[in-house]
Amino acid sequence: MAQGEKQRSVLRINLDILNAVQDMGDAKPTHILYKANLSHERLTRYLEDLTTKGLIVVNQEGENRTYRLTPKGVSFLIEMRRAESFVQGFGLAI
Amino acid sequence: MPAPAVITFSLNILSAIVALLTSYYAYRFNRIVDNSVLRAISVGFMLLGVGLIADAGTSLVSGKTLVESFADRILILLVSFTYLTVQMAAYLVIAVGYAMAAYGKRLDRAYPVALAGAAAVGLYRFSILSYFVALILLAFVVFQGLLIHSRGGNRFSAIVLLAFSLILVAHVVLLLSVLTLGSGLFLVGTAVQFFGFVSLLAFVVRSEIVGAR
Repeated sequence: MAQGEKQRSVLRINLDILNAVQDMGDAKPTHILYKANLSHERLTRYLEDLTTKGLIVVNQEGENRTYRLTPKGVSFLIEMRRAESFVQGFGLAI
Repeated sequence: MPAPAVITFSLNILSAIVALLTSYYAYRFNRIVDNSVLRAISVGFMLLGVGLIADAGTSLVSGKTLVESFADRILILLVSFTYLTVQMAAYLVIAVGYAMAAYGKRLDRAYPVALAGAAAVGLYRFSILSYFVALILLAFVVFQGLLIHSRGGNRFSAIVLLAFSLILVAHVVLLLSVLTLGSGLFLVGTAVQFFGFVSLLAFVVRSEIVGAR
């Protein structure tokens, strides 16, 4: 981590992952990994967590694995973005 | 009810609705973000909303604005004490919360002390002193807002800063109206305060729209 760079919160990382998944529709792990700027190990952990919470769903076709937002995930993402806009007004960050 | 009292009542009720709406949003988003500053904002604006409703109630019951009814000492002692004390507490909570946003968590330990201070201040005679205290607290909030905005703020923090600045200006005018017992000035102050809350409403609506994109 660069000096002076703040560590991302779990919420921020989840938001980055969900944004990445939404941007790509059916998102491959490598694309999410690149967009969310995470190591493979950490990404796997976060993806498992988001899947368990029902925010994303895995689609496995042969060796290809992709992720997609569930309706619950879409609602959560919208609420997170609203929260982000709101807290920015008071000088806070997610 | 005379026209000035109707105007004061209407503006204060509308401002109270915006304050309570802001409090609700801070509460709602705090369930996701879990941040002590958001909690302070939620509690602060809830107190402000309640205070504004109490003030609007004064106009409704007495048919006079806060300044006009200074002659009716008994009623005003009861109602405006509540309003001004709640208002002071609200601005104190917001000021401390805002300072935490500006300076990080270092103020966490000072928070209970500050709240105890608010309770102590509530025991003082209200009137000019409480307006003056609210003014100092608001000036502090605006200063913190400026700090936050200058450290890479965006249009959201600019709108919030504008809202608090308008409320600060309103309190300067309201203090002057109390000092001079001028009901015209009181109406101007109430109107400026209302526009401050309109700015806050614009911020809440904007954050909703941007979030939904």
